Amino acid sequence: MKRKILAALLASTMILSLVGCGGNGGAASTDDGAAATTDEAAPAADDAAAPAADDAAAPAAEGEETLTVWCWDPAFNLNAMYEAEKVYQKDHPNFKLNVVETPWDDIQTKVTTAATSGDLSTLPDIFLMQDNAFQKNVISFPDVCADLTNSGIDFSQFAAGKTAYSVIDGKNYGVPFDNGAVVACYRTDYLEQAGLTVDDFTDITFDQYLENGKKVLEATGKPLISMQAGECDLIMMMMQSAGASLFNEDGTANIVGNDTLKVVMETYKKLKDEGVLVEVNSWDEYVGSIVSGDVAGTINGCWIMASIQTAEDQSGNWAITNMPSLVGVSGATNYSNNGGSSWAVTTNCKDQALAADFLASTFAGSTELYDNILPSGALATWAPAGDSDAYGAPSDFFGGDAVSAKIVDFSTKVPSNITGVYYYEARNAVATAITNYINGADIDAEMQTAADTVNFNMGQ
Amino acid sequence: MYLFLCIVSFISVFPLYWMVSASTNKSAEVISGRLIPGTYFIENLKNLLTTQNIGRALGNSFKYSIILTVVSLVVCSLAGYGFEIYHDKGKDTVMSIILLAMMVPFVATMIPLFQMVSKAGWLNTTIGFILPTISTPFLIMMFRQSARSFPHDIMEAARIDGLSELRIFFQMFMPTMRSTYAAAMTITFMNAWNSYLWPKVIMTDATSQTMPMVVANLTEGYVTDYGMLMLAVLICTLPTAIVFFCLQNAFAEGITGAVK
Amino acid sequence: MSKSTKKLTLSKKHNLTGWAFLAPGALLIFIMSFIPMIRALILSFKAGVGANMNWCGIMNYTRMFQDKVFIQSIKNTFFYLIIQVPVMLIFALILASILNNKDLKFKGLFRTMIFLPCATSLVAYAIIFRSLFANNGLVNLVLVNLGILDQPYSFLTNTTSARIVIVIALLWRWTGYNMVFYLSGLQNIEYSVYEAAKIDGASAVQSFFRITVPLLKPTILLTAIMSTNGTLQLFDESVNLTNGGPANTSITMSHYIYDMSFKFVPNFGYSAAMSFLILILVAILAFLQMKVGDKRD
Repeated sequence: MKRKILAALLASTMILSLVGCGGNGGAASTDDGAAATTDEAAPAADDAAAPAADDAAAPAAEGEETLTVWCWDPAFNLNAMYEAEKVYQKDHPNFKLNVVETPWDDIQTKVTTAATSGDLSTLPDIFLMQDNAFQKNVISFPDVCADLTNSGIDFSQFAAGKTAYSVIDGKNYGVPFDNGAVVACYRTDYLEQAGLTVDDFTDITFDQYLENGKKVLEATGKPLISMQAGECDLIMMMMQSAGASLFNEDGTANIVGNDTLKVVMETYKKLKDEGVLVEVNSWDEYVGSIVSGDVAGTINGCWIMASIQTAEDQSGNWAITNMPSLVGVSGATNYSNNGGSSWAVTTNCKDQALAADFLASTFAGSTELYDNILPSGALATWAPAGDSDAYGAPSDFFGGDAVSAKIVDFSTKVPSNITGVYYYEARNAVATAITNYINGADIDAEMQTAADTVNFNMGQ
Repeated sequence: MYLFLCIVSFISVFPLYWMVSASTNKSAEVISGRLIPGTYFIENLKNLLTTQNIGRALGNSFKYSIILTVVSLVVCSLAGYGFEIYHDKGKDTVMSIILLAMMVPFVATMIPLFQMVSKAGWLNTTIGFILPTISTPFLIMMFRQSARSFPHDIMEAARIDGLSELRIFFQMFMPTMRSTYAAAMTITFMNAWNSYLWPKVIMTDATSQTMPMVVANLTEGYVTDYGMLMLAVLICTLPTAIVFFCLQNAFAEGITGAVK
Repeated sequence: MSKSTKKLTLSKKHNLTGWAFLAPGALLIFIMSFIPMIRALILSFKAGVGANMNWCGIMNYTRMFQDKVFIQSIKNTFFYLIIQVPVMLIFALILASILNNKDLKFKGLFRTMIFLPCATSLVAYAIIFRSLFANNGLVNLVLVNLGILDQPYSFLTNTTSARIVIVIALLWRWTGYNMVFYLSGLQNIEYSVYEAAKIDGASAVQSFFRITVPLLKPTILLTAIMSTNGTLQLFDESVNLTNGGPANTSITMSHYIYDMSFKFVPNFGYSAAMSFLILILVAILAFLQMKVGDKRD
C-alpha cells in the first residue's frame, strides 16, 4: 500500500515538472497571457528563416493599403485579381494585394474551421466563393461575410440570375465574378456527317435534341454528350433553365410533386437509354471524352470551353449555341447557369470601405479590367463589359464566331432560381435518385426517398 | 517465385510508370490515355515552375517532415520502450487508453485542436504543424511491440555493469533496434510528407504551403493541365521513394554486429 | 526475507523509470488528442447549424440510427474491413517472408517496387485508378481483347464492382506498407533458426507457419489493429475513386462525416457523435484483437 502511494506521488511530481518545462501546449489553455508572449517569438523566428518571407511580412509592415485575397486557379481567378490590382493602383499607388492561392475545398474548410471555432482572425479580407455555397455559408456563419448592400457597389449592372446567388434576405453579400452561363458545344465535323449543322441545334427542345442525337449516333457512332455519373450537373442545369429549384421560397424541400424535376429525370433517362448521352465515371474521363473526340458535344457552363480548347487539333471544328429547352414545362427557356463564383468581403477585414471601393472600381466598374482578363477566358457578368469591342472579336477555334458576346447575351437571359441553404444535400439526394431510377427503380418512390433524405438532413 | 515477384512488382510499379510518362506528355494526351513517353517534359516543367513556387513548397515540406520525424522517433521510442521494458498492469492499461486517441476520425477533433493551436499563435509555423503528430499511438505501439524481442539478459548484464537506464536505452536499445527505427522513420516521414488535412487548416500564408497543397492547387482550376499535374505529383512522390530506398537495407538486412 | 524487500525496491524503481520514459509521449497525446476529444465529446451532445449550438442530450446518437445514408456507410465500411484486412495482411506476410530470403537476388529492388504504391501521392493514385477502370480504360481494353467481356463494363458505376475496385485499390496501396513492418520484425528473428529448421527437413510452408507467424505475433497484432483502424476510418478511396457512388453504395463512414462537416450545412454535433461511434467500433475490435494476440510468454 505504502509503496503504491509513494509511486503515485513520485509519478505526479514528475508529470508536474514535465508540464512545467515542456508542456507549452497545455499552457495555452491555462495561461493565455504568458503563452502569448513566449509564443509570439516562435512564428517571428520562423518567418525570418523562410526563404520568401517578404510576401507574408509585407501586410504587417505597410498596413492600411494592403488586402489579402484567397482564390484558386492561377490562369483564371488569380490572374483576374492581379489585373484588378493593376487597374486600382493607377489611382491608389499605395494599394497592394496579397493573393494566396487556395483551392475552393480548402477555402471552405478554413472558413468552416475558423467560424466554428469562433476565431475569425485567420480569415483574409476578400475571398472567392462558389455561388452554390453562398446561401449555405452566409446563413450557417452569419458573422463571416460583410453586408455589401450599401457599400457603393452598383449591383443592378450585373445579370439578375447571377446576383441572386449571393443575395440573402434582400442583402448583397457578394460581388459577382465569373460567368457560368450554359453553352451547348458541338463538333461541327461530326454533325456534318449526319447532315446537320449547328443551326439545327439552336433554339431547340430536348425532343429535337434526342432526334438529332440519334442521327449523329447512327452516322458517326458518337454520343452527343457525356456526363459524370453520380453528379447531377445536367439535371441542375435543366432545372434552372425552367427557373425551377429543389426548394420553395420558404426554404422547404420541393422534390415530391415537383413536375419539372420529374420531366428532367425522365428526359435524362431517355437520353441515356437511347445512347445519345453516355455516363462516365469522373471529371477526368468527362474532359477526356471531349478532347479525344469520343463525343460530338457537351452542355455545360461556358468555362468548359477552356478545357475544350486544349484539344488544339480540333480547332475550327467546334461551335457553340444555346441549350435545348424542356418540353411540357411552363417557363422553359434555352438558357441556364452552371458554376461560377463571386467575391465576398469578410468581417475580419480591417478596412471594409477600402475592400468595397476596390471591388466597386474594378469588378463592378472597369471595362478595362474585363478587357484585360478576357484572353484568359474570364467572361463578365457585368453588363457594360459586354459592349466592349473586345467581346466582339471572333474566335478561330469556334469557327470564327464571336463567342464572348454571345455568352454575355446568354447570361442576361438565364432565369434565376432558389439555390437553397441545403443545396448540396438536395443535390446528393437527387443524384442518388437518378442513379437508381436509371437502373430501373420507380421514379415516384425515388423522389420520395430523396425528399425524405433532404428533410432528414434539414431536421437538425 | 521470381515470376510471382515480377508480376507483383509490375503491378506495383505500373502506375508510377504511368505517372512518369504522363509528365512528359501534353494534357490532352494524358487524359486520352497515352502511355508512351512524349517530348513535352521541358514544357511541363516550365509551366509548373512559372505557376507554382515549387522550391518553397519543397523546402517547407522537407523542413516540417524532417523535424517531425526526428522528434517523433525519439519521443515515441522512449515511450514504447517504457511501456514494454517496465511493463506492469498500470502501464498496459495506459497503453490501451492511449490507443483510443487514434480511433476518432481527425475531422472530429480538428476544430478543437485548431482552437488550441490558433490561440497559442502557432498558425503557419513548424511547431503548429508537428505538435499534434509528434506522439502517435501507432508509433508508440510499434516500438512497444518490437521492444518485446529486446533480450532482457543483456539489460541485466548492463545494469550489473552499472549503466544507467537512460544509457541502456541510448547505447544498447537504439542500435539493436536499428531495423525498427528505420521502418518507423520511413513511415513517419511518409505520413508527414503526405499529410494534408491539418496543414490545409493551419497554413494560411502562401509562404508556408507544403508540396501536397501545391498539388491540390493544380487540380482546382477550370482547366486541369494533367501533364503538369503529373509532373508535380512525381516530384511530390520522389522524396518518399528515395527515403525508402536508402533505408530499406537498414530495416531488412538483419542485425549486423548486434549485441550478443 | 531481505532478498524479497530488495526485489520490491528494485521493481518500484523500475516502475518509476518506466513512467519517466513514457511520460513525454503520453503527455503529448493527452494534450493534443484527449483534450480535443473531450471537447468533441461535449460537442456531440449539442445540435445546431454552423456556430450556433445548443444542448440536445443524446439526440445526435439516436439520430444516426435513423440516418439511412449513415447506416449504408456502416455496411459499406464493414464490407471493406472483412474482405480487405485479412487478404492484405496475409499477402504482406507472404511477400515479406519471400523477400527476407538471404539468397534472393535483386531483393532491394523488389522491396522498393512493392513499397512504391503507398509513397505515391494520393492525387496521382486516384487519377490513375480512375483511368484504369474507366469505360475505355486499360482494364476494359484488356478484358475485351481477351474475349472475357463482350463490351466495356462500367466498373465504377455498378455497386459490386465499385466496391471491389476500392478493395483492389486498398490492397495495391497498403500491402507494401504492411510488408515493411513484417520485414523489420523478421530481422529480430535469428536467421539461424530457419537454417536449423531446414536441416531438420522442414519445408518452406512449415517454417512459415511454425517459425515466422508465431515469432511475428506482436507485429501481426500491431498491423491488424492499425489496418482495422485505418479501414474503419477509410476516406481517401471513397472520396477520390467512386465519390461514394453509385447512389451511396460505396460511401464510407468517414466520408459521410466529412461531408456533414464541410460540404453540407455544417452539423458538428452530429459529426462528432458519428465519430464516437467509430471510436467505439474500433475500440471493441482492437480490444478483441489484443485479447487474442497480446499475451506475453
